[in-house]
Amino acid sequence: MKEIKYIITDPLGIHARPAGMLVKEAGKCLCNVTLSVGGPAVDAKRIMGVMKLAAKQGMEITMTFDGPDEETAAANLEAFLKANL
Amino acid sequence: MGIFDKLFSGKPKEMELGAPVAGEAVPIQEVKDPTFGDEILGKGMAIKPTGNQIVAPCDATVDLMFETGHAVSLKGDNGAEILIHVGLETVSLGGKHFKTIAKTGDHVTKGQLLIEFDREAIAAEGLDTITPMVICNTPDYHAVTAYTGKTVAPGDTVLGLVK
Repeated sequence: MKEIKYIITDPLGIHARPAGMLVKEAGKCLCNVTLSVGGPAVDAKRIMGVMKLAAKQGMEITMTFDGPDEETAAANLEAFLKANL
Repeated sequence: MGIFDKLFSGKPKEMELGAPVAGEAVPIQEVKDPTFGDEILGKGMAIKPTGNQIVAPCDATVDLMFETGHAVSLKGDNGAEILIHVGLETVSLGGKHFKTIAKTGDHVTKGQLLIEFDREAIAAEGLDTITPMVICNTPDYHAVTAYTGKTVAPGDTVLGLVK
């Protein structure tokens, strides 16, 4: 399993658009992908769960990757977070 | 339901979702934001509102009322995961011109008031007030049909879902 952490810099946090983009990116991974902000983890491939985290600027998010392509998946999502959030 | 019931029950029943606001029902592709227009969040439709109240499209539980009031997600009693997003880029208003009526966790019935918004004030800020309603669990359905190209009152059928 791989894990990455990222502190959100986007002043608007994870609202509908970035949540949708993140889910789309996570959906490309074969492995299981989860997302959490200190509380329970949600399936990063399901939009409702990701939006419900209501992650805001300054919060640290943790993503886990578990499966055959976890190395590339973690690298892709880390790049996505840096570019978009 | 047994397999034979499924095989012989005929056409699957369509679950209907009502318009969340009065206005003109249009195809989702008319939304000038790829998050919606390209169906990244799921299939759906949009309304160019003429009203100022967002109501529940079906009996549902409020899954998340965004604290800014610009969007709400609902888990329908029928299983649909519904996102209603009032206007585009309205997250930037930080709650201005929106008043949330329902809260996260509330159970609401079709037509019940969820959000009040000042459509004219939002438009005056230079923002598009088009309001998409999308089905976030689109892959769970065989078909998501939009009924658009008409003027709708709140509650008029605008989406049909078939398992």
